[in-house]
Amino acid sequence: MDNHLQLHLALSNTSTHNMLKKRKFDESFSDDEMTSNKRTLPLLIWNDNRNLDSGCVDVEGDAVVGWPPVNSRMRKVAEHHRRESTASNYVTVDNGGGGGGLNWMYVKVEMEGIGIARKVDLGIFGSYQALTATLMAMFGKRREMYKLTYRDKEGDWLLAGDVPWERFVRSVRRLKLLKKVW
Amino acid sequence: MAYSFPEEVLEHVFSFLSLARDRNAVSLVCKSWYEIERWCRHRIFVGNCYAVSPEIVIRRFPELRAVEMKGKPHFADFNLVPEGWGAYAYPWIAAMAEAYPFLEEIKLKRMVVTDESLELISKSYKNFKVLVLTSCEGFTTDGLASIAANCRHLRELDLRESEVEDLSGHWLSHFPDSCTSLVSLNMSCLGSEVSFSSLERLVARSPNLRTLRLNRAVPLEKLANLVRHAPQLVELGTGAYSSEIRSDTFSSLADAFSACKQLKALSGFWDVVPSYLPAVYSVCSGITSLNLSYAAIPSSDLVKLISQCQNLQRLWVLDYIEDSGLEALAASCKDLQELRVFPSDPFGAEPNVSLTEQGLVSVSEGCPKLESVLYFCRQMSNAALIAIARNRPNFIRFRLCIIEPQAADYLTLEPLDAGFGAIVENCKELRRLSMSGLLTDRVFKYIGTHAKKLEMLSIAFAGESDLGLHHVLSGCDSLRKLEIRDCPFGDKAVLANAAKLDTMRSLWMSSCSVSFGACKLLAQKMPRLNVEVIDERGPPDSRPESCVVERVYVYRTVASRQRLDMPDFVWTLDEDSSMRYS
Repeated sequence: MDNHLQLHLALSNTSTHNMLKKRKFDESFSDDEMTSNKRTLPLLIWNDNRNLDSGCVDVEGDAVVGWPPVNSRMRKVAEHHRRESTASNYVTVDNGGGGGGLNWMYVKVEMEGIGIARKVDLGIFGSYQALTATLMAMFGKRREMYKLTYRDKEGDWLLAGDVPWERFVRSVRRLKLLKKVW
Repeated sequence: MAYSFPEEVLEHVFSFLSLARDRNAVSLVCKSWYEIERWCRHRIFVGNCYAVSPEIVIRRFPELRAVEMKGKPHFADFNLVPEGWGAYAYPWIAAMAEAYPFLEEIKLKRMVVTDESLELISKSYKNFKVLVLTSCEGFTTDGLASIAANCRHLRELDLRESEVEDLSGHWLSHFPDSCTSLVSLNMSCLGSEVSFSSLERLVARSPNLRTLRLNRAVPLEKLANLVRHAPQLVELGTGAYSSEIRSDTFSSLADAFSACKQLKALSGFWDVVPSYLPAVYSVCSGITSLNLSYAAIPSSDLVKLISQCQNLQRLWVLDYIEDSGLEALAASCKDLQELRVFPSDPFGAEPNVSLTEQGLVSVSEGCPKLESVLYFCRQMSNAALIAIARNRPNFIRFRLCIIEPQAADYLTLEPLDAGFGAIVENCKELRRLSMSGLLTDRVFKYIGTHAKKLEMLSIAFAGESDLGLHHVLSGCDSLRKLEIRDCPFGDKAVLANAAKLDTMRSLWMSSCSVSFGACKLLAQKMPRLNVEVIDERGPPDSRPESCVVERVYVYRTVASRQRLDMPDFVWTLDEDSSMRYS
């Protein structure tokens, strides 16, 4: 019988201790009155051997790579929710076309002088900067020639940029890019 | 008298065998049966594209009409397999283009498919009918245009969950006017808007169309027009389900749906405006499958919809349904067989909805036919799991993801060993299990003891020692696929159970404690296994042999050579323990 392949079944915890490189919190309980059954939750899973510069590090900050196990499609759904939600759980969806809900926020975008309007999903932008850059690329125009205006849920046309982004996104119903006059 | 039947008679008899398992058994009876069978096998399924080579397949089965194949391991869905690992379809497509001019069906899952592959498919097979690409990537809408333009008899084009580089929606317009054979079209993963008039004309001239899954860019206002052209639809995936509330849009939609007497499955519902949901009420009583996993619908509206679907067998939904919605589901849908509840906010620190273990308990109590579950939640208890197991001994698939890694029983703070133990003990037909939460080696003992029909097991952040892995590998008689991440399992268990790995499709271990030395030893002992070390820190032999590898992927293979398409972070180990680079 090949010795390499024999498993010596360890029946006590201590002999397998050297396998538990990750479970540092275990050591802190070993000399306690606390029974080994009661554990508190670790705040972060850490594996010394893992190379954190590997290509598969998730963008979710301190979150563990690939956890929870949701595929890329579901991650995008969650991303929308993260941008959208604040203190309240979800906002009831307004009647306005495509805006103000807790999910995707398509609004119509027109550019002065161009007959065909486009639609953008505001949920994928995080700032006025990102939105304007994309709109300019969409219409193939130069940024300094246009200003971004929007119609809010009251029906008023306003210049974009005055209110914080989150608030803007909640109230915008339509976008229009107007030529700067000066 | 050893006269055999004429070959034609045997061939005719074999034609009644559709299961690969039966055909494989037949081919082992004797040499002449092997020969006859291989010439009349028309359909194969290759569970791991690297388990065999195109040459071997083509040599054995010269008359294939349908090929189904899987590439990357399942954990690739969660970014655990680095980009560029492999699973390229092109070598297969190219080899089959020469060998099988009459090939009709290609179904691929988790493979890299290029536009060249698609173009080759479209031009090589005169009678090509079915293309299904599940969770594939590497192609653009240009590739789709080739398929649309050249496959004259195309019946199915299904791109489920694939990552397609979306250059434009123009590809759809490449279907010639003469193409009227379409039975199934699933373009739900695409972003761009297709020409609506092309789409409408395509639907209108496809009398056999049974499945139509639109993408988000198809607006609600246009949906009624499409549906009106295809009242024979059995499965419909809507586009965006939102619009300004207009009574004419609503009534038009409701009318169109009411004409669909065969509709059994609904999906899509992006951007859903709940006020439009009642438009589908007329078909609800016939609906057996509902996929609302992209639809942010408040629980109350979900309940209104679901309580109309008394014949529902399959429900995929976001956790907005909450415990209350699941209770209503349990009360209304007594035929429910499969439930998947996805997290709307998986990365949020705090729960955003009121969905707990109670929802799953309710459904397990109320739905006697429930056999398949995927459930994401933030708390679980042994008591709940035990109750679920006792309620539903008929589970065949049970996947539970408690979002916080290593979460203990929230009532007792104990590990969830007893709960999962009850699942495997009671559910004797369990074929697939995914576990989460705080788990010691004990749960693996239960699994090794009871889970005799288990074929696929997924483990994360669990266990205490090699003993855990040893229990699984030595006890689970039917195990085919084992995937493990972040568990303290290492050399001893793997090496002691090396022979077991030959009976399985694959073993994946990432962020565990398997050393490079053990990988070499395993490769040495088991020549029919490919032992792939996937490590982005550079060559494993530049570090001590006792050093743990980042990931190891072990799979059985009859391909005579190691694969030649490995990227620079993958090493396979040869029989003589020399390292092979690609």
